[in-house]
Order: sequence, then structure tokens, then C-alpha cells
Amino acid sequence: MRFNILGYLIKEGFRNVFKNKKSTISSLTIMCATMLVFGIFFLIGENVNYIINTVEQAQGIEVFIETDATEAEIEELGTKIRAMDAVNKVEYVTKEQALNRLKDRLKDQAYVLEIYEENNILPTSYIVTLTDLSKTKEVQEEILTFDHVKRIESSDQTISTLLKIANGIRIGTGVFLLFLIVISVFIISNTIKLSVHSRRKEISIMKYVGATNSFIRWPFIIEGIIIGVVAALLSIIIIGLLYNLVAGQIMESSVVALINISLLSFSEMFNLIICVYMGLGIGVGVLGSAISMRKYLEV
Amino acid sequence: MIEFRNVNKTYSTGTEAVNNASFVINKGEFAFLVGSSGSGKSTIIKLILKEEEPTSGNIIINGKDTTFLKPARVPYLRRSMGVVFQDFRLLPDKTVYENVAFAMYIVKATPRHIRRQVPMVLSLVGLSGKAKMYPNELSGGEQQRVALARALVNNPSMLIADEPTGNLDPDTAWEIMSLLNEINLRGTTVVVATHAKDIVDKMNKRVIHLSKGKIVSDKKGGYDCEI
Repeated sequence: MRFNILGYLIKEGFRNVFKNKKSTISSLTIMCATMLVFGIFFLIGENVNYIINTVEQAQGIEVFIETDATEAEIEELGTKIRAMDAVNKVEYVTKEQALNRLKDRLKDQAYVLEIYEENNILPTSYIVTLTDLSKTKEVQEEILTFDHVKRIESSDQTISTLLKIANGIRIGTGVFLLFLIVISVFIISNTIKLSVHSRRKEISIMKYVGATNSFIRWPFIIEGIIIGVVAALLSIIIIGLLYNLVAGQIMESSVVALINISLLSFSEMFNLIICVYMGLGIGVGVLGSAISMRKYLEV
Repeated sequence: MIEFRNVNKTYSTGTEAVNNASFVINKGEFAFLVGSSGSGKSTIIKLILKEEEPTSGNIIINGKDTTFLKPARVPYLRRSMGVVFQDFRLLPDKTVYENVAFAMYIVKATPRHIRRQVPMVLSLVGLSGKAKMYPNELSGGEQQRVALARALVNNPSMLIADEPTGNLDPDTAWEIMSLLNEINLRGTTVVVATHAKDIVDKMNKRVIHLSKGKIVSDKKGGYDCEI
């Protein structure tokens, strides 16, 4: 009847949680607070990554082809670029398309281009989009070594700025993750310590009747897990509400509408964040109780 | 069953609690450990329970030398003995029934076994009618009976009692002692540390007399001995 024992241990774990309400609540509060701060970094990071991806797909590098290249040579160049590792998509732009694009960009002043209608001197080009923006530079350098490439244009500035932001956020998230783990483990181990203390009589009786060490430990480990999981669930609810509010405000603001980017919705990130929070909660709970048990439960 | 071979115990404070103690308590025997406070009775109990390690010598329980027993095996050693203390050590927030069943949960007994065994032991100690009461609703004697029931519920081969009547009035103390005797007659080895002189005299069992950590006499009869 292993199931019965499991039930008993879980019941005891819950009893521990409710026996020391004050310390349980204080550790829940602090865990939630750190989890929220971490969550904010995490969500911003996810969004920046998402925006970078969007930009990556929208903006490519434009490879201008020398005007004296034959069709076969142009074709060959395209195949070569397509064969490169970091390349996602290669699109050919004819002279006419180039002219139309230029017209679009100039809008009202498009009439200055009228003289080109008959004698189009605009170069043809390939627009290359990448799978990984951090490789922009290498790809550019390699393409420049190919024949018939006149020059390359890319929105280097935007890309490198975005990458810098993404890196900064990644570091921030990492630092906060570390901070979260240290604080939470400390707080949980303190709560478990109190719990062990308030049940020391019971523990001593358990030892005399021949309870194994693991049997004595499990309820406290379960207590740690319960606190971790509850903190994770609370944090998800709070951060979900907060995110929807803030993201809604940002999306409605005119600036964002102008540069035409969108943010991830919370439901899109829900699975990921629930995994991260649960993993953290359970991991921290187990670690915290294990530490306090080594120190305070001389079994 | 319980054998001490030249056992010495010196605490880290320098107190020499047990000095070259050797004795054998056989299966089914009833033995008193007597002596004044600080004579080493409690230390011997602790050594049997492996709560303390001997400084030198060997302790053999149920044919096994426990001196080199791994810490992880200690719980299994303790399951072979029931323990009763002067202060009962019951859990105040659990009923009589739960206090006894608790000892069975810990050794991972099946619910069916628990439902059968607990009422049986409670009737053995004469508490069938009080299963649903809490320890603070019981008299001292009744509380010690609960502790006894808890010690016996897993059918240990020996029962170790450390001053079981220390907190009880003489009549109740005698009731508990009779109960211990009854348990002994059912085949359980019983070791009782006590300084209740009149009870020891009346019981006329084997008495191991300790003084300053040394065994000064070991024979059947009363508390007093000629040194």
C-alpha cells in the first residue's frame, strides 16, 4: 500500500504549511516578489527576442548586383547566397521593382523619377533575410567575396542596437534568476527550520519508533514544494494581469503603431512561463528544505 | 537478546557514565536497572537504543553487534524494541487511537493492519473505551498506558522503559508495572530502569544495580543489595 504512505506524507506536508502560517505567508510574499521581478525581466526579454525576429524577417540585407552581369551570372549568385548557412530567404528585385520601391519611398516627390521610366539605370538586387541576426556581419563579408556584387546595404544600426538590448536583458534575467534562487532558498529553509522546530517532539518520537530518515524528511520537503508551487501560481496570476495591462497600454500608444511592431500576448508565453515558474518553485522548495534539514534535523 | 561486553561510555564533557559494564538479558526475561540518579541507568538505555555510542566495548542486540551498525540501519534496529519514557511523550494534537496508529504509519503498515492492530493493543492496555480522547483528557496512568500501547503496537521483541512510573502515584505506578509484567508473560523481553524501591522489592525480578557507572550487583530479588 505505497499509495497510502504517499497520502500520509503529503497530508503531513500540508499540515506543516498550515501550522506555521506566519512564516509560510512571509516566505510566500518574498518568493512572489522576487519571482515577479524576475518575471518582468523574463517577459521583456521574450518580447525583445520576438521583436528581433520580426525585424529579422522584415528587414534583410540588400545585395546590389553589377549592371554588366548576365542573367546566368545573376542566377548563379542567387544560388550561392541561398546555399549559405545563416540565410533564410533570398528575393530577387528587378529594375522595375526597384524603381517602384523608390517611388513608394519618395511618395509626393516621385515625379523626379519620371526620367528613369524609359532609361532605368537602377541596379538589380537580391534581398537576403537571415535566420540569425548576429551573423549579419559574417554573411555580408562572405557575399562581398562573390563575383558581380557591387555593394551591400543593411540596417546594421537597428540590428546591433537590438542585439545589445537583448544581451543586456539576458544578463539582467540571469542575475535576477540567481538572486531569486539565493533569496528564496534562504527564506524557505528558514520556514522549514521553524517547522522542524515546532515538530521536534514528534520527530523524536518518530525516531524512537523506528521511522527512517527519509520518512521523517519527506513531509518537510513536501512543505517546501507546496510553498514553491503556490508562490509560482500566485506570481503567474499577478504577472499575467500586470502584463496584459501594460502591454495593452503600449500597443495602444501612437509610437508603437507608427513603427509597426507588436508585442507577444501573455497567452502565447503562458506555457513557457508556467514551466519556468513551476520548475523554479519546485526546485527552490526542495533545495531550501534539503538545506534546512541537513542543518537542523539531526536524524 | 541484549548483551553488553565490557562497555564503557565517557561523555565528551568527561563524565564517565558507564564503566566496564557486562551483562546478558535473555529473551523473555524481565530485568530492572536500578541505582540513584546519575548512576548510569539512562545511559545504558540510550546505549541499547543506539542514541549514544559506547566509547569502548560491544553491544549485541538480537545476535547482532550494533557497534558498527550503519546510521541508516538504526531505525530498523529500533523497530525491534518498544520504548516508554517517564514523560509519556504523546502527541497532544492526536487522539489516543491516532497516537498509537502513528507508530504503525511510520513503519509503513497497511491500513487494514492498522485497523486491526490498534484496537487490539488498546484493549490489552485497558483503554478500549478512550480511543477518541486526547492525551490531556486522560490521567497520568492512562497516558502511560497509551505510550505502552504505542510501544507495543508493532510487536517488538523487547520493551525498554525509562522510569515509566516516575510521574505516577504509587497505585497507578503499580498498575503500570503489573501491565509490564503481563506483557513480559506474553513473551516480550522487558527492561525497566527505575528507582521505585517498593515496586522492585515487590516484583521479585532480576535486578541490575548500578552505582557510579559500575554494576555493583546483578541478581534476582529486591532493590537493596549487599556490596
